[in-house]
Amino acid sequence: MHHVTRRQLLTGLSAALVLAACAPAPTAAPTASAAKPTTTPVAAAATEIELYFPVAVGGPIAKIMDGYMERFNAVNPGIKAKAVFAGGYPDVLTKIQTTVQGGGKPPAVAVLLSTDLFTLLDADLIENLDPYLQKAGDAYVNDFFPAFMLNSKDDKGKVWGIPFQRSTPVMYYNKAQFKEVGLDPNNPPKNWTELADAAKKLTKPNGERWGLQIPSDGFPYWIFQAWPISLGKNVVGTEANKVFLNTAESTESLEYFVKLIKTDKVHPEGIIPWATTPDAFVAGKASMIIHTTGSLTNILGKFPNPADVGVAFIPGKNGFGAPTGGGNLYIFKGAPQDQKDAAWKLIQFLSQPEMAAEWSRDTGYIASRKSSYDTDLMKKLIAEKPQYGIARDQLQFAQKELTSHQGAEVQKIYGNAIQAAIEGKKAPKQALDEAQVTADKLLSQFK
Amino acid sequence: MMQPRSRDKTFGTALLLVIALVWSVPLLWAIALSLRPPGAPIAIGSSWWGGGLSLASFARALSAAPFETYYRNTLIVVAGILIIQLVTVTLAGFVFARVKFPGRELLFILFLMQLLVPTAALIIPNYSTIRSMGLYDTLPAIMMPFWASAFGTFLLRQTFRTVPLDYEDAARIDGATWWQTLWHVYLPPARPALTAFAVTSISSHWNDFLWPLVVTSSVSTRTITVGLASFTQMGESGAEWGLLMAGTLLVVWPLLVLFIVFQKQFVASFVSSGLK
Repeated sequence: MHHVTRRQLLTGLSAALVLAACAPAPTAAPTASAAKPTTTPVAAAATEIELYFPVAVGGPIAKIMDGYMERFNAVNPGIKAKAVFAGGYPDVLTKIQTTVQGGGKPPAVAVLLSTDLFTLLDADLIENLDPYLQKAGDAYVNDFFPAFMLNSKDDKGKVWGIPFQRSTPVMYYNKAQFKEVGLDPNNPPKNWTELADAAKKLTKPNGERWGLQIPSDGFPYWIFQAWPISLGKNVVGTEANKVFLNTAESTESLEYFVKLIKTDKVHPEGIIPWATTPDAFVAGKASMIIHTTGSLTNILGKFPNPADVGVAFIPGKNGFGAPTGGGNLYIFKGAPQDQKDAAWKLIQFLSQPEMAAEWSRDTGYIASRKSSYDTDLMKKLIAEKPQYGIARDQLQFAQKELTSHQGAEVQKIYGNAIQAAIEGKKAPKQALDEAQVTADKLLSQFK
Repeated sequence: MMQPRSRDKTFGTALLLVIALVWSVPLLWAIALSLRPPGAPIAIGSSWWGGGLSLASFARALSAAPFETYYRNTLIVVAGILIIQLVTVTLAGFVFARVKFPGRELLFILFLMQLLVPTAALIIPNYSTIRSMGLYDTLPAIMMPFWASAFGTFLLRQTFRTVPLDYEDAARIDGATWWQTLWHVYLPPARPALTAFAVTSISSHWNDFLWPLVVTSSVSTRTITVGLASFTQMGESGAEWGLLMAGTLLVVWPLLVLFIVFQKQFVASFVSSGLK
């Protein structure tokens, strides 16, 4: 009995292999190619390019991307663009680095984190976009939100990336719970005092409900950056070898965060997971959360009464502030010239105001261009769901996301300091002073 | 005498039950979450059940990717690796166990040193080889680096060495060629070892992600782990657990079924290959 089963299994497996070997090359999957317009035959000399993209938010991103490529190819008969899903952001970078180090050609264009800029420059992987931008004219580049362009430029002001899937953290608050405790649902907290006061009123004992919840795992530096920015001193400037982690502004921000947890007890203790924070908000276990604007579609879709979802600027000490986040489009140096030119056409296609508006509607990212908000699509979306307009309005207070040489490492150093203070392992000032020393040492090799 | 022994037995069974329950929690939770209606949030107090049952997450996961292609590719890759591995590790194990030639031990040690090099460290040279062979973005590209296996060779060599030399001599006297000896004398007692090796090979290549991702770029050549990674990569917005778990179950169910069906043989083969 056993022998027969095992033999059957092996026979089955070998049959599968033989069949596979004999069959013609596997045909493309039906979903990707069935809808491809076959009416315009691709010219023999068509330039083929690949766009590597990551998936970082919910939704059928791969399908949306395939659709965009079809539309681009339809209006650009000389080019055949193909979108290649390449995992998460780190996987895309790994795939490209492997290809280049293994002697292969990189893709013509890829979506990578805006903060990957200096990593890509240090590896000499990407193409300077200034010549392309000069041809496109000032009107094109000036139409992008200035806050998004900050992470596109190196320390000398050269442009290397075009904003694509960009985001920013905002504050979500539960209007029904605001009413319940006598707070004005249309007047969310605007500064630290109001934030702490509102959180105190909203918090219920024994962890039944928290007034405020700010996630602190994964990339804790990101949301936290909002507070030093609101105080007028970002943790990063234009230089790529300097960061400012232990300024008075940074320290005061961290002390305030720790006070919310330890003294006011309006925020849960410990490291709060990024992924479950929106669910805590939807379930009514957290009245106010700070999370990416990219979660808005998800939250509105799950909330019992979507009209009760309030979106507000992140309250700073006396003003507002936020970092930007998300991914840019980069062109790769190692690709042949005709591919690079085709890639630039694709970038221009994807950054048309109407396309940026569509992308925003489908994914929850902020449309990267100002004129996108004048399109009918965007006007209609904001009229129906005004929450979508808040992140755009907050961009006027937004600054650069933490980036430098060895950027991922520096982000981790700052994040670890924040976590150490939240968990009560170190005093905020001590944690940040130590982080500054570590970061300085790391960056001292870059002159 | 009777009573304490039966009490011991009951206690042992109860302990095993508790351990089994603890170990199955992740799987049970994945099933519970995948059957939740997509709108129901997961929070303290409602992490297991929330608002009824629904197959919507499975429907969404299935519509998000061409599963037929992914399953077929994964099957071809896993079977294509295993079948060739069974041939190479058997022959190599036999040579290292029973064929005498100068430098055999040194060569074997060099061979074993492969075990010290993590596969991830070999991605770039492997990619380079695949590219120069013109195999980029094909299924053989995913399989090729694994056609030899240091672990399998080691396992088979150790097993073959336990076979008494007298058996081989007897076969020789009867006029058996080397491959007849291998087939009739060495392979039958090595079956448990081959099964144990097959299990580890199937599960590790079924779950492999980075290498197939690096070496393919078309839907038609991608395996199920790469195809479904889009569910697990929602780093920026909060994870959609229902969809994530539905996707995970779609990836692992063939392995689960395989294990349940062949459970007895697997356990027996691990036990016996470990004892020898």
